[in-house]
Amino acid sequence: MMKKRDHMSITDMTSMAEAQSDLRSEINQRLERLILGVSDYCYQCAKCTSGCESHKLLELEPHQIVALLKRGLIDEMVNSEIIWTCMSCFKCKERCPQKVPPVDILFALKNLAVLTGKQVPGDYTQMLQSVMSIGYIQDRQTVPTRSGDTVKREDLGLPVLSGLQDPNGFQNIITASAVEKI
Amino acid sequence: MERIGVFVCHCGINISSMVDVESIVERVRELDGVVEAKSYKYMCSDRGAQIIKKSIEEKGIDGAVIACCSPRMHEPTFRGVAEDGGMNPFTVEIANIREQCSWAHDSRERSTEKAMKLVMSSVAKARLLEPLERGRTPVIPNALVIGGGIAGIQASLDLANEGFRVYLVEKDPSIGGRMAQLDKTFPTLDCSSCILTPKMMEVYHHPNIDLMTYSEVLSIEGSIGDYRVKVRRKPRYVDVDRCTGCGDCVTACRMRDRIPDEFNMGLSNRSAIYIQFPQAIPLEAVMDSETCLFHRFGKCGDGPLCVEACEAEAIDFEQKEEVAELNVGAIVVATGYDLLDPASLHEYGYSRSKNVITTLELERLISSSGPTKGEVRLPSSGERPRSVTMIMCVGSRDETQCSWCCRIGCMTALKQVILLRENLGEEVEINILHTDIKSFGKGYEEFYRNVRAENTNFFRGRPSEVRIRNEDIRIDIFDTITNKLFEIRTDMVVLVPAVVPRADSGEFARMMNLSRSGDGFLLEAHLKLKPMDTFVNGIFIAGCCQGPKDITDTVAQASGAASRAAGILSKKELENDPLIAVVDADLCSGCRICISLCPYSAIEPVVETMAGEEVVHAEINEVLCQGCGACVAACPSGAINQMGFKDNQILAMIGVLNDCSDAGGLK
Amino acid sequence: MPTEQYAYEMSIRETLPLMGVEIVDLPGFSCCGEPLKSINQMLTLHMSARNLSIADREGIDLLVPCPMCHLALSEAKNILDGNGEMKKRINAKLREEGLEYIGKQRLFHIIDLVHDEIGLDTIRERVKKTLPDLNMAAHYGCHILRPSEMGRPVDSENPRKMEAILLSLGVRSEDYAEKLDCCGGPLLPNHPETSLAKTGQKLHAVSEQGFDGMVLACPWCQKMFDSKQTKAAESVGSRAHVPVLYLTQLMGLAFGIDDAKLGLNLNLSPVDDLGLKGEVE
Repeated sequence: MMKKRDHMSITDMTSMAEAQSDLRSEINQRLERLILGVSDYCYQCAKCTSGCESHKLLELEPHQIVALLKRGLIDEMVNSEIIWTCMSCFKCKERCPQKVPPVDILFALKNLAVLTGKQVPGDYTQMLQSVMSIGYIQDRQTVPTRSGDTVKREDLGLPVLSGLQDPNGFQNIITASAVEKI
Repeated sequence: MERIGVFVCHCGINISSMVDVESIVERVRELDGVVEAKSYKYMCSDRGAQIIKKSIEEKGIDGAVIACCSPRMHEPTFRGVAEDGGMNPFTVEIANIREQCSWAHDSRERSTEKAMKLVMSSVAKARLLEPLERGRTPVIPNALVIGGGIAGIQASLDLANEGFRVYLVEKDPSIGGRMAQLDKTFPTLDCSSCILTPKMMEVYHHPNIDLMTYSEVLSIEGSIGDYRVKVRRKPRYVDVDRCTGCGDCVTACRMRDRIPDEFNMGLSNRSAIYIQFPQAIPLEAVMDSETCLFHRFGKCGDGPLCVEACEAEAIDFEQKEEVAELNVGAIVVATGYDLLDPASLHEYGYSRSKNVITTLELERLISSSGPTKGEVRLPSSGERPRSVTMIMCVGSRDETQCSWCCRIGCMTALKQVILLRENLGEEVEINILHTDIKSFGKGYEEFYRNVRAENTNFFRGRPSEVRIRNEDIRIDIFDTITNKLFEIRTDMVVLVPAVVPRADSGEFARMMNLSRSGDGFLLEAHLKLKPMDTFVNGIFIAGCCQGPKDITDTVAQASGAASRAAGILSKKELENDPLIAVVDADLCSGCRICISLCPYSAIEPVVETMAGEEVVHAEINEVLCQGCGACVAACPSGAINQMGFKDNQILAMIGVLNDCSDAGGLK
Repeated sequence: MPTEQYAYEMSIRETLPLMGVEIVDLPGFSCCGEPLKSINQMLTLHMSARNLSIADREGIDLLVPCPMCHLALSEAKNILDGNGEMKKRINAKLREEGLEYIGKQRLFHIIDLVHDEIGLDTIRERVKKTLPDLNMAAHYGCHILRPSEMGRPVDSENPRKMEAILLSLGVRSEDYAEKLDCCGGPLLPNHPETSLAKTGQKLHAVSEQGFDGMVLACPWCQKMFDSKQTKAAESVGSRAHVPVLYLTQLMGLAFGIDDAKLGLNLNLSPVDDLGLKGEVE
């Protein structure tokens, strides 16, 4: 399985960053806990990047993410914008001949970015706040129709949305999970 | 045995540094039954042998204890010395006072005491040893080679040239195998048929080779030196003594051009009666009863056209299947390989487009005897491709398909680049999408270098999918060398598929009682030191059935397997190790536990009638038994004993070790 | 789905009873947490496990029409069933709400429920209306297909179930190279232009190849291909005129249900062009 080697003395001469073996281990252990493939097995065939849905427009290179993980250059990725470009289409994990999951490594890196206080891009904060208060990522929307007017959920004969029975309790309980490491 | 000689070795200083050899010699003289006790620096040397032989002659010892290194090192040596000196070799017992004593401890006093005990217990056993004779089985000097590809052909020729009779059994109507399907071979670019057909001819005309094509092995019984094999001879429905191989029946057949031709990988069609390929050996037609109208429906139009066309009157619908029984001393298995069906990697489009083909299919297109007479054309339209893209490692080195490397993929692709240039000229664009280039063999790197100069686009990376819209094929490939994503627009895609065991290899291995390794190929006895042996004595494997390899390594392994087989066949008799298990039929209850445990299938139930009742007891085949002892330990009736390790002998050793009270602190 | 993609819910509620399936609304469900996976996967696991444990408590199998939710719940199930330590951790949290994850209940998406459980014969029997001769592009999306290692309801490389269902409705669905491409939806929160460009590219490919429209079974995909069709097409410099509707809407129409009940007026794409209104035969 995974070798535990604490000491890595490798320096990236472009950025002068040192390899972070502890963070690397942490991410690898998280993958194991989530019953995911082992990142070490990657042999850089780049099949993932060749098919990456986010590559052409946003230049995400999943194989490079795995390579940087193997080298322990975690901060470079956590501090970058590139990790937020993943479309979570799962094609990389699906097609990898060594069962490495770049998509899940990216989730780990994004989680790490949030936990270490990096700026969360886009509408995520809004969705999080909504979930905290009503349990859904947004409240019931008023939507347009093809004929030009708008309707609400109630107008369509759908049953009432039950929602959370105890929103405060829910919020208290999930807040803990929202800041917990896997 | 009553007159024991004890010989203690110094082993240089390996033993004597930690064990007081001389004190052992002194004390051992006191033991009952010991009439001789000597030591020497290197008992395994010639001088040591002399000492032992002298004791046999002068002191008349009839059993010996050699206190020395591990029996794995020199037990055979000392048995040989004893035999040479006129004493039964199986009355020699080794006391390991090196690996299990002097090498393992650091107190000289205590090591010496331990060594003394080891020697004493060995003497106790030696007193109870019995002289044993090696069984002998006669060897039938015939060989069976299963599989008529280049491996089988080479092994057959080697064995036949050494003077043995060889039965070569091949499933297809012709020998030649995969090599016959190739156009050229790497790295020499020899015409494959040109180097293969002379060997095929040699096989055909060799007085010692009995060629049985269109035949399959049905069953195998017996053991090394004496195998009895049943072979099914499928009927060709053609009288081979009359058939001249002219091919008139093939052209006349009503099913002409209707049946997918297996030799051309389904890229063209054949008739129901056909000749496998132009250089087929034997050059005889064969009728496929599953597609022949007369066989299926009892009639073929107004009458079978093949009969009409055949001037030699060789068509014979009355032929029946026959079963031949062969008696051979050794077997070489050379059943070859298959390619992974790339349909299992749906993303590469093999099932969606005719223009996505495998390397073997391309080889048939390039071959002048192939479906397009050697013109490389798009299967969908017959047009010349302007661009050909080769994708390597399709299903290889892939944990979701075949985890192993196919070994021949890189060189095959490089070879096909050269052949495509020859065939289509300079204007055709050739792209190779590779993960590595494994050009490991002699002449391979030079070959690779030459291909690099052939104006080929090498991309290092693996594509995620092949996008097909009718005849428009696009492939996105991230090239890790330039770190750029390229879009390739191409006409023809050639996939280099994984090399896999033959589809029926599981069934075949079961029938032959052979093991398979995790990847499904036949298992060799030792990957480095015995790559041609199997765990069944007398059966050897060669070629791709053992694992993917190129022609060079196949031929080498085939000759090696032939040599191994010849080692058996050249003997008049084989000696069996007598240290095997033996069943006392009187004690055996017929429970069959031993039969299910035996890893060598050496035990059979034997039914006898005794006092009017049917009684079953186990019987152990002396030749197959390897003396592993599993049955001895498992027998609930205590009916099985192992020669040289009998209960009374072992118990005597234990008795001595238990008795030893104080000496040296060992309790 | 319940807060925006009302047509999906409407068409499911209309068609399922006709196929012999009873829908039970379980109170207390929250978001599955998958959209927040980038923030903290622990939160996602907790919320998904929570939903699963409500199903456990009621002893009912779950129909999960949204593939993203289906993925979240399946993944939670996979992790909790496979890692005893994680199961303990999550159950400790669930206990605070009086819940426990046991994992007995099965998960279905519409496609496998209809294709595998209900069966195509039943579908064929329910068809009351002959639909016009249409060639519709099947769009599965990503989350219902992948990652296959965990077990998904449809084959990841050669999915055929939706086409089989469409065929039983009397609708053709030819294969096309872009079938497995993503709609771009997950990037809407932070890369909206790219997200729309993805949608636009696929729409362009579909209309280029002469399809009459697109059929799908995911609320995120519908949002992209239908509601945002105009914007999406603009972002790749083309015009799109592709009717897009839910599989269950098409099923409902074939079963003879009134299109208002199926929420057809909520589709912003030109679904009228399909000529689906007509008499019941």
